[in-house]
Amino acid sequence: MQRLLAYTDKLSVRPGDQVAVKVSAPDTTPYRARLMRVICGDDSPDGPGYKMEPVKGVPESERPGRHQPIPCGSYVAIRDRKGFALASFSLSAFIWPTWVDKGEPQCILGNWDAASRSGYALYLDEQGRLALRVGDSAPVALSDTFLGRHWYRLAASFDARSGQVVLSAHRALPYGGMEQRQVAKGKAKPSEAPNRFLIAAWNDGAKAAAHFNGKIDSPAIYGKALKIDALLAPPGGRGAPSARQAVAAWDFSRDVPGTAIHDRGPKRRNGQTLNLPTRAMTGWNWDGSEHNWTHKPEQYGAIHFHDDDLYDCGWETDFALRLPKNLKSGIYCLHLTQGSLEEFTPLFVCPPKGKATAKLALLVPTASYLAYANHQMATSWHFDETSSTKFTTLSPADVFMEETVSLGLSTYDLHNDGSGVAHSSRLRPILNMRPKTDLWQFNADTHITDWLEAKGIAYDIITDEELEQDGVAALKPYKCVMTGTHPEYYSERMLDGVQDYTNQGGRLMYLGANGFYWRIAWHPKLPGVIEHRRAEDGMRAWWTETGENYMAFTGEYSGLWRRNGRPPNMVCGAGFTAQGFDYSGWYDRTAASRDPRAVFIFKGVGQSEKIGDFGSIGGGAAGWELDRADFSLGTPPHALIVATASEFPASYHWVKEEFNHTHSAINGDTCPMVKADMVFFETPKGGAVFSVSSISWAGSLAHDKYRNNVSRITENVVRRFLDPKPL
Amino acid sequence: MLSIDPSRTDLCEEFKRKPFGRHSADLHRLLDLMRWGYARGKTIIVCTVPHKEWRLGQLGPRRGTKVEIDRSRAFRSYEDAVWACFRARWKDITGKDCPVR
Repeated sequence: MQRLLAYTDKLSVRPGDQVAVKVSAPDTTPYRARLMRVICGDDSPDGPGYKMEPVKGVPESERPGRHQPIPCGSYVAIRDRKGFALASFSLSAFIWPTWVDKGEPQCILGNWDAASRSGYALYLDEQGRLALRVGDSAPVALSDTFLGRHWYRLAASFDARSGQVVLSAHRALPYGGMEQRQVAKGKAKPSEAPNRFLIAAWNDGAKAAAHFNGKIDSPAIYGKALKIDALLAPPGGRGAPSARQAVAAWDFSRDVPGTAIHDRGPKRRNGQTLNLPTRAMTGWNWDGSEHNWTHKPEQYGAIHFHDDDLYDCGWETDFALRLPKNLKSGIYCLHLTQGSLEEFTPLFVCPPKGKATAKLALLVPTASYLAYANHQMATSWHFDETSSTKFTTLSPADVFMEETVSLGLSTYDLHNDGSGVAHSSRLRPILNMRPKTDLWQFNADTHITDWLEAKGIAYDIITDEELEQDGVAALKPYKCVMTGTHPEYYSERMLDGVQDYTNQGGRLMYLGANGFYWRIAWHPKLPGVIEHRRAEDGMRAWWTETGENYMAFTGEYSGLWRRNGRPPNMVCGAGFTAQGFDYSGWYDRTAASRDPRAVFIFKGVGQSEKIGDFGSIGGGAAGWELDRADFSLGTPPHALIVATASEFPASYHWVKEEFNHTHSAINGDTCPMVKADMVFFETPKGGAVFSVSSISWAGSLAHDKYRNNVSRITENVVRRFLDPKPL
Repeated sequence: MLSIDPSRTDLCEEFKRKPFGRHSADLHRLLDLMRWGYARGKTIIVCTVPHKEWRLGQLGPRRGTKVEIDRSRAFRSYEDAVWACFRARWKDITGKDCPVR
């Protein structure tokens, strides 16, 4: 399957900005590019209709196609080369391999180059055995395959004069009937090549190849053949060579948030990580006494490398796009076509800095878009079908990703080695952040832009990147801020920004569910990448290894905001309570909806009307994911629960962080916690919050040409919230 | 034990009538059995023309391998593809054709 692929250097932009557009095409046939304003990206027959407007003032352009590769796989590259062009040498490291039966070589460290067959490498061979290769000589390997997810101490030496290779591995755990230590000897000819020295990969010409899957801790190299027993001694242990004797001895516990790799040896042969391997990982010596890596970094000296890590595709720029200075704030896409191939890459155009052009802002949840970017749940999850209660259904984009394996993963996925994905970046094509995709996140949120355009309600776009950068100042210019359908991932600064906004008189319309749920961090220096650890509890796609709940980017405890003392209820009055994906229901008004404080919400809506018993997502306005008001979890005491949806089938499941013990009443047909609460409450200084507590709400807005009670309620609230009159 | 009772044609009829939403408890249990575990190795649905065409298929042994698509049959509605997938899985589990066509 062939695809036209594209991404841009920025996702969130302002009028007048220049954007670098990077494209990969299957062949050299010219492709055409044009800028389109996205009104509605839903092209399904049941939706409001696919609506894209060409942008005047930005002419279409035609460019020659070219293929650009995607360099997946993380590793460390050391800057110095000459210092590693050694005749004799010794190598040592700890490893915790995670994919020993991959069937392909996985390099641990060395400067071997597969293209020139020069240099040397300590690696796992095709059989999952430790091996050492020097130049073009036949590799020397241990006899037994390694066990996955076990710590091993590795040692290898090569004496150039005698040509002797000695290789050994010592498993940390002893097992009866299995040798704990293996040794192998052999012969090789020296290969003093000034190749690039890599950790977790070897060279294949200018490229990195043979990526390692698993953890590496305390790798070191010495300039002569040392005794194996000395090399097997742990660093600082009796008989172990010191860092002063080393050509290089790297300490991965330093500068954990960054990409620099530090050498403790005398020559300071430092390096850099590429493609963001996972750091702050428990090391060979982690003893369980501390779970926060910032407190005992010496026990977090491991990096977990994956052959499918990807931070930045690093493509060359095909063309620069200068946005018009008068470009209206909104969601845009570059639409590229090459023959029958089509590609979109989104741009979120904010108003000029400091100049709001509307009283309403749509806060586009780009952090959540990243969390789901290129997700492959269908193959990552053993519970995907029993969670969704659907048979696996792949879209053409899913098939492409399944067959290609090189577009980078989402925080919902497992790496090829079965470990969870903790990072997601925007510097790559993201096939599910596009028009004409599933109605989830980006494309579902265009139901909101579609409705705003249909109603003629002026709005600006603000994204999570502005919220992260500017905090409450990004929202402050707006009388009302509207969320997307699923603003799930929040950093501390983002959460502070929204909470400060409502506490300082802002009015928030939360048009979704399962928002403000997971704690993430943006990288402090690298643009466009988030980190998340699936810590402790919650509806987790995967779970962290014990001791790895604190994020490397910031040292913050990740997982649920609820477990960090700030449940979503404190922000929007409701928090994630249930999900199901094959049906959506309706709301019934409560007695509280007649409270004078809430009357404006239901103007024109009958007391006994079913609210939202229609819609393009599951057939109702209450569905997919649902939130519940809970005063014990921070729903403000004066909040009004003005409507509730409570009729759900067994395919709906109560969220797992709410039951401390398994039992039989956790489905929609048995569990009273499976419901959606529509909530309204006032905040200080004239602010207010209105929450629909359902992801499918926006899918009902366009029903019957926008003449329906979901549209009516949304319009009643937004017009009242834009009215400066005190609530 | 979790198993399919091949005499329960009523459950097949129920699913054919209504593939999504509220199901009887017995059909819910049957579907859970059909859906338990990884999709790799099971019959799945592949959308080959968005909103217009679906086919049955199978994932390859791991990422980076080809998705096998059954080119012999195409379905013009998603519901039809879901019903065909149900029948295929019934046969995969019981070794017998689904009694409802």
